Amino acid sequence: MLTRFFLMGLDRKAGLVLTVLALLAVLVPVMTLIVPEGSPWHVSIFTVSLLGKYLCFALLALALDLVWGYVGILSLGHAAFFALGGYAMGMYLMRQIGPRGVYGNPILPDFMVFLNWKELPWYWLGFDHFWFAAIMVLVVPGALAFAFGWFAFRSRVTGVYLSIITQALTFALLLAFFRNDMGFGGNNGLTDFKEILGYDIQAPGTRVGLFLATIAALALSYMIASGIIASKLGKVLVAVRDTESRVRFLGYNTESYKLFAWTLSACMAGVAGALYVPQVGIINPSEFAPASSIEAVIWVAVGGRGTLAGAILGAVLVNFGKSYFTGALPEFWLFALGGLFVLVTLFLPKGLLGLWAQLTARLPNAKGPNAKGKNAPNGNTADQKGM
Amino acid sequence: MRRALRWLMAACVAIATTSAALAADLRPLVQTMGSGGYSGTEKALNQLSDAGDPAAVPVIEALQAGDLYVRKADGLVVIARKVGAGYALTDPLSGAALGEAAAGAIDRIKVNNAMRRAISAALGALTLMSPDPAVRRSAADAVFKSRDANALDALNTALAKEKDERIRRAMEQARAAVILTAGASDADTQAAVATLAGRGDRDALALLSMIAASGASDTAKTAAAAAVATVEQKLMFWGALQNLWYGLSLGSVLLLAAIGLAVTFGVMGVINMAHGEMVMIGAYTTFLVQQGLRTYAPGLTDLSVLLALPAAFLVSGGVGVIIERSVIRWLYGRPLETLLATWGLSLVLQQAVRSLFGPTNREVSAPSWMSGAFELGGLTITYGRLWIVVFAFAVFAALLVALKRTWFGLSIRAVTQNRPMANAMGIRTARVDALTFGLGSGIAGLAGVALSQIDNVSPNLGQSYIIDSFMVVVFGGVGNLWGTLVGALALGSLNKFLEPYAGAVLGKILVLIFIILFIQRRPRGLFALKGRAVEA
Amino acid sequence: MRTIQQTMGRGMTGRVATFGISTLAGLAMGALAGSAQAADDTIKVGILHSLSGTMAISETTLKDVMLMLIDEQNKKGGVLGKKLEAVVVDPASNWPLFAEKARELLTKDKVAAVFGCWTSVSRKSVLPVFEELNGLLFYPVQYEGEESSRNVFYTGAAPNQQAIPAVDYLMSKEKVQRWVLAGTDYVYPRTTNKILEAYLKGKGVKDEDIKINYTPFGHSDWQSIVADIKKFGSAGKKTAVVSTINGDANVPFYKELGNQGVKAQDIPVVAFSVGEEELAGIDTKPLLGHLAAWNYFQSVDTPINAEFIKSWKAFTKNDKRVTNDPMEAHYIGFNMWVKAVEAAGTVAPDAVIDSMIGVAVPNLTGGYSAMLPNHHITKPVLIGEVQENGQFETVSKTPGLVPGDEWSDFLPDSKDLISDWRKPLSCGNFNVKTGKCGGKGT
Repeated sequence: MLTRFFLMGLDRKAGLVLTVLALLAVLVPVMTLIVPEGSPWHVSIFTVSLLGKYLCFALLALALDLVWGYVGILSLGHAAFFALGGYAMGMYLMRQIGPRGVYGNPILPDFMVFLNWKELPWYWLGFDHFWFAAIMVLVVPGALAFAFGWFAFRSRVTGVYLSIITQALTFALLLAFFRNDMGFGGNNGLTDFKEILGYDIQAPGTRVGLFLATIAALALSYMIASGIIASKLGKVLVAVRDTESRVRFLGYNTESYKLFAWTLSACMAGVAGALYVPQVGIINPSEFAPASSIEAVIWVAVGGRGTLAGAILGAVLVNFGKSYFTGALPEFWLFALGGLFVLVTLFLPKGLLGLWAQLTARLPNAKGPNAKGKNAPNGNTADQKGM
Repeated sequence: MRRALRWLMAACVAIATTSAALAADLRPLVQTMGSGGYSGTEKALNQLSDAGDPAAVPVIEALQAGDLYVRKADGLVVIARKVGAGYALTDPLSGAALGEAAAGAIDRIKVNNAMRRAISAALGALTLMSPDPAVRRSAADAVFKSRDANALDALNTALAKEKDERIRRAMEQARAAVILTAGASDADTQAAVATLAGRGDRDALALLSMIAASGASDTAKTAAAAAVATVEQKLMFWGALQNLWYGLSLGSVLLLAAIGLAVTFGVMGVINMAHGEMVMIGAYTTFLVQQGLRTYAPGLTDLSVLLALPAAFLVSGGVGVIIERSVIRWLYGRPLETLLATWGLSLVLQQAVRSLFGPTNREVSAPSWMSGAFELGGLTITYGRLWIVVFAFAVFAALLVALKRTWFGLSIRAVTQNRPMANAMGIRTARVDALTFGLGSGIAGLAGVALSQIDNVSPNLGQSYIIDSFMVVVFGGVGNLWGTLVGALALGSLNKFLEPYAGAVLGKILVLIFIILFIQRRPRGLFALKGRAVEA
Repeated sequence: MRTIQQTMGRGMTGRVATFGISTLAGLAMGALAGSAQAADDTIKVGILHSLSGTMAISETTLKDVMLMLIDEQNKKGGVLGKKLEAVVVDPASNWPLFAEKARELLTKDKVAAVFGCWTSVSRKSVLPVFEELNGLLFYPVQYEGEESSRNVFYTGAAPNQQAIPAVDYLMSKEKVQRWVLAGTDYVYPRTTNKILEAYLKGKGVKDEDIKINYTPFGHSDWQSIVADIKKFGSAGKKTAVVSTINGDANVPFYKELGNQGVKAQDIPVVAFSVGEEELAGIDTKPLLGHLAAWNYFQSVDTPINAEFIKSWKAFTKNDKRVTNDPMEAHYIGFNMWVKAVEAAGTVAPDAVIDSMIGVAVPNLTGGYSAMLPNHHITKPVLIGEVQENGQFETVSKTPGLVPGDEWSDFLPDSKDLISDWRKPLSCGNFNVKTGKCGGKGT
């Protein structure tokens, strides 16, 4: 049953994505840990962490694409789920510091010590266990998304109204986490982590391990997402995207379908955040900033909305561009990045993967114009009003 | 400044007529002002004011204005005013010209806060008898603040002569403050308490509560306590009104920021992430206009904000038209793509402004008619905020008229309601699109002029308003201008009412939660568009 | 697509990949791993300041001043006979990006030292990277203290070099008895206010005479808070505001103060984050007499400062550019680094870290600043009043130099801690009571 579910989503494109991920999973560790430094084939630990970060963003983009590309919910607050997952992991990592903090307090993190907190707030309890944190990584974003979606979908909040209240949600969380009284370290957030599951977080082996975990999470999420899309459930979701009222009139309870996809997507985003934190070494409220959510939307759009591979491609590509340009063109990189967004929108309306589809469609043996990006939104129906 | 000059002239006349002997007495005191650093100057200043001679006024005013110098060559204290590259020196007491000096040949006598306070007090006591009513009024206020017991005699003399009712009241209050601070007979104290209770503001409250808690007689204490209670009640009432005003003023800032978006996003459906940058461009235009006027027409600087209005409208509107023609017009029917493209544009515009003007804040100074505040009953209303409220409503009204009563407005509504039909009726839809986007951007530019008065003029200016603007438009109902108006005022007032209880941060969080919950109740905003078009 | 290939294409080696992701992976590795070849005839110096985003407003100037200092040093013949080469990156006010860029500077560009960061969170973000890769960071901004790392040199003020002297001044000269501690809600104001609260209470100030207020970043509507300050200040006791309000929020705050007529004679505001650069964006006429506490003002009248200002204006080709305290901190830090490198004869981090301690270089206020064993420096503390021309006039200066105290004596958990990076102690948080190093030693 489960195998069939996964196999169902495995078309040619999915095969390619998984192959690339598998290749990365084999090559990168070898090139990092075995190939000696100095060899042109050596990959530095810095690069591994960087790739890991890109893949975390790719997972976030994948989660976003699932709800935006296939259900038509444009979330301008997905970074909130990402950050919540990140905070859950960050809290575990903080507890692992133990007495090695600057004040040497075995229980309280440093920021609590200098704010004169005497004991750990209740919501920090349990985070000294990895299993608890791991559950929370899924539960906290999932529960928030469930509650939020439960109300919003039932009230039939749609389109731009839904987008803006997701933005309000992430903005409210941003302000809340900024508050030092909240007990999450305020603006400084959580940082200076020492070890994860007993392994030194800075050791090359751990970094490669985290990288592999990210690949595994991404591959698994990809299989789940493409499995869902290929299933009957997926067909209903796409139908909801295109005309929700018609699906409702056909007797489907569209709210439940949307709620399922929405909650699942939030959990995926939470996992992405949890993997992101140990690799970049800090989680702070700026991850909640509405701009980060909008950026995630842009990754998906650049790669190609409504194509899972496109979301991954877009996230990796845009973030690579950001890393590269901020080093190479520190004064002008915003021109390059901003210009890229404008050009992609104007000339590649279906994103990079759309271009791929267009190119293949032009080949003589292609299936004809209608075949291009069969899952890509039609634009005229779903996008007519709002999002 | 003009007042100071007038006084200077009056004082010169006074010096000429009063006996030269008095001026001679002051001279050693004036001379000591130049030595001993801050504390030395302050000591001499106090002695000068205790002497009670109006001849000292020009000296003290020169000190306040930073025009009092020590000539390095002989240590003489002089008044120096910049003339060309050097300074023209005059004698502080006689006003006689003492020739010129280079900038390096004289040392300015420095003034700090403690001294500024002493200067105000001294000028207050010395100018109570001034022929200018405005000066007498501010002198009375200065004495009220300083509560200097030495000023009591001067106050009594001045009160006996004063004819102007309002100045008399100010002087009586000042006298009451002096009496209460210095301590006096029971009857006097009670009379003073009554006078202050009539004043009824925070300063009076402070004095009254001091008496209520002090060692005065029981009757005085009871009277003071009763007065405290009435004043407090009055202040509470005014406090609530004041809060309402703050809400209105924050609401009108939100309205200004959002109203352009209500056109580009609400009417046209473009998710315009570059809206904030249009506001920023308007603010920078104000800066440029002001710089230009400062350089080429210094007399008109006070009007720079007014002149900036059309300029900002045209510049931001022009940028808007260019954006529409080059980018947005390819994206109609694909609103999501407009989000992406305008986000890219906003990055480019921010960085462009940063490269052109530098990353730091630019100074836009407030014109004199926009600075300061006035009291309305117990309300303190700042002119800047008042004008912004007026301006926001004016812009709103103008936009409403433009949309409802002009041919252009009719075309806009026709195009947004049914594009093919409008086209068929001979409306040049492409041009209308460009002009509509230009209109929305131009209004954003106008908002920038207003915001330059209260916020940073920096490349990040727009970013801080974009989210609030979207909240307002969506809360009010997309496509409905009245919704934007009501939404802005409602959110502004709500925020200001929550702030005193919850603090600024929590207040804002609560407002956001309120928006989320409100949208659950009314999924299409406050003023929902009705009809089939909504569901499509 | 052509455009994209052109912009992105440095690593693309002709071969058109069959699938985007594999191309991309190749591209990433090629660009990130491959291009690390350092020329041996120069010494690289990293500059890690945000050039875009919210902090660009403050940090861009520091990038410029570093470029100027490096340029001047090169004109003097460089360091150890080699030219210095500046490597500028843009962490874009994004805290995780700070860590990434720090790692890039240290591993890819192999810089000898990094000058950078402004906010506490950016420093916290890069700290583990510098400790892991044994790099050198010079941090030029006043900060909350409570930190001492072997790899970081703190050339900005610790709280005892700014906040406490300012409060002392207000108490003695302005006779202030009632205090509003207003700040942005983040760690620097929180810690500073905590220290000040303890300090004020130690001086006999009562609870009801202290009011603490926090606002979010970029707070722009100050009407109610300023009105509240006025209200608090009208209780009959002399009141002052100690402001740790950060960056962007200051301009609207001061504009509101001016409009509501809060005069320095009545309620003075002393700020720790407002310098010449911030005032450049405000009309300062209504602010005459409000105060700031720093270790440097542009108006300081010394020959060395006049020289510095002259070369700064020449370098930026802008006669209106102002100088400020963090710029002086970089000036001191950079000269200290040059001196330490020359003393050590190498840029190797361990040797430089050892030779840094005790190095003394001229500061711009006419004295010498020395690097202490706790990696903080000695500085004079100046209190200045805002003038109409947007400059400060010094109204008080500490008689001697104040050594930076990283672990505040006024916080219960840090009063027993000291830091001393000299051997054999070599510890950033040594507890004098227990005689133990708290886990950060070597």
